[in-house]
Amino acid sequence: MSSASRVVTPQGVREIASLARLRLAEGDLPRWSEQLSRVVEYIDQLEGIPEEAFGAPAAGEPTLLREDDPRPGGGEAALAANAPRRLHGYGVVPRVVGPGGG
Amino acid sequence: MSAFPGVVETAEAVNSGRRRAEDVARESLARIGDGDGRIRAFLEVTGELALAEARSVDARIAAGERLPLAGVPLAIKDNIWIAGRTATCASRILAGFRPPGDSTVGARLRQAGAVFVGRANMDEFAMGSSTENSSSHVTRNPWDRERIPGGSSGGSAAAVAAGFVPGGFGSDTGGSIRQPAACCGVVGFKPTYGRVSRSGLVAFASSLDQIGPLSRSVADAARLYGAVAGADPLDSTTSALPVGDPEGALERGVRGLTVGFLEEAQLEGLDPEVAANLEESRRIFRDAGARLIPVSVPRASVAIAIYYVLASAEASSNLARFDGVRYGPRASEESLVSLYVESRTAGFGAEVKRRILLGTFALASGYYEAYYGRALRARQLLREDFARAFASADVIVCPSIPAPAFRIGEKTADPLTMYLSDIFTVPASLAGLPAISVPSGLTRGGLPLGIQVLGPAFAEDTVFAAARAFEIGAEFPDGLPGLEA
Repeated sequence: MSSASRVVTPQGVREIASLARLRLAEGDLPRWSEQLSRVVEYIDQLEGIPEEAFGAPAAGEPTLLREDDPRPGGGEAALAANAPRRLHGYGVVPRVVGPGGG
Repeated sequence: MSAFPGVVETAEAVNSGRRRAEDVARESLARIGDGDGRIRAFLEVTGELALAEARSVDARIAAGERLPLAGVPLAIKDNIWIAGRTATCASRILAGFRPPGDSTVGARLRQAGAVFVGRANMDEFAMGSSTENSSSHVTRNPWDRERIPGGSSGGSAAAVAAGFVPGGFGSDTGGSIRQPAACCGVVGFKPTYGRVSRSGLVAFASSLDQIGPLSRSVADAARLYGAVAGADPLDSTTSALPVGDPEGALERGVRGLTVGFLEEAQLEGLDPEVAANLEESRRIFRDAGARLIPVSVPRASVAIAIYYVLASAEASSNLARFDGVRYGPRASEESLVSLYVESRTAGFGAEVKRRILLGTFALASGYYEAYYGRALRARQLLREDFARAFASADVIVCPSIPAPAFRIGEKTADPLTMYLSDIFTVPASLAGLPAISVPSGLTRGGLPLGIQVLGPAFAEDTVFAAARAFEIGAEFPDGLPGLEA
């Protein structure tokens, strides 16, 4: 398959990867493009379901909400201990405002 | 008594005082020590923790308690939180992650007297059908070590098939319990969506994920399922409906039941041995006294297409939380965006990236309605198809796998072919239905096959009754595959 006819072009893959916060090697883009295009072309068979087959959207199951009562928590400290960098109980990230922010 | 006692048999022996849980755990650990070098079902064997848990069970028995899983050693898939162990989803991005405590399933198993011998290998984040996508190593099928054990719960299935443990737990999003169970010649059960809490299960596709058991018999699966099923305030999607009596239903038989054979399973190109095995399953159900009818679920033929839109879309959203800030290794400190990008790029394997890309594509502005919206509506049509089919059939039967376990490496270059391995398991997942895979025979080459029994939502008891009747008729060999060096 030529890249021009692919559903997901190498340039498209690069843009999707950027949205997904992933970096793909430039040299690998054609292979990603080919694999994703094959899957998307397979998925495109859903276009074969005629529009009239779809009825009115079904009402979803109502979400059952529990009572808004305070309960003991626990586990926060153990969970936070998994952060790769911590300071005073908080996770540390690079500066996002001011000089050097980004 | 078989050389490798099952779940029910082990619990009865420990409850009656004939065996000590600690001895049972030591035997399981010894079998793992002898054989797992060749199978590699486990990411980690937690021997000391397991022995401490077993001693605690022995103390409870001595104090007069009787426990449904007394001293039963279990293999737990690495995406289910068990206190005291890491839970990495076989992913580099969760390396070293220590959950704050037990999942609901883990807590219920512990309460029931189970002993956790190890973290079972899996496809990274449960994305795969072969366990080749583990970031750690490939697990081998005990029946033929050149072949895959199925996936994504391949470690749990292989551990049970090899006789390392009498039971295990996996998670099933599109077939990840049933497909490896069939590949490894064991029973694998996916409950109705909402029957088993997902609290403490690392999310892949939240509208599909369910935890369920793997074992060497239908009765053992019913015991394991019964120990974990039921409403949980920590998972708002769990149902308040009574769990029923899966073990009590086992010997009800299928006399008077209508068994629907799925017409869409008669695929062009279906493996001839799978087709012959399906024919044989008709004879078994007929001989057991069931009435047989054909049933049609027309949208089963597009289930894989629906699934790869919805599951990937949900995965791309769920996995956004893995960014190098709160868990796992951090790959850059240059800027926040670079921290996210480099940590995710280094932490995720190729298949996980592929699903995230696919999901991001399906949810992207301009494509959302054409892909995600359409797949959601098609899923509703599939549910309606099943509702019509279950108006005339009590259960539906189809193969679990379209072909026996394939060779390691055979499908890694072609993701779409790999995805089609789940063609018979994905429909029940999308419709949220209970479904069980029962070993149904061996191919001429000696590889296991599985037959699947699907039921209406929350009709687990009927599914277990039909599965048990089939198990009796199928006479799958009780022995274990040879594990000689």
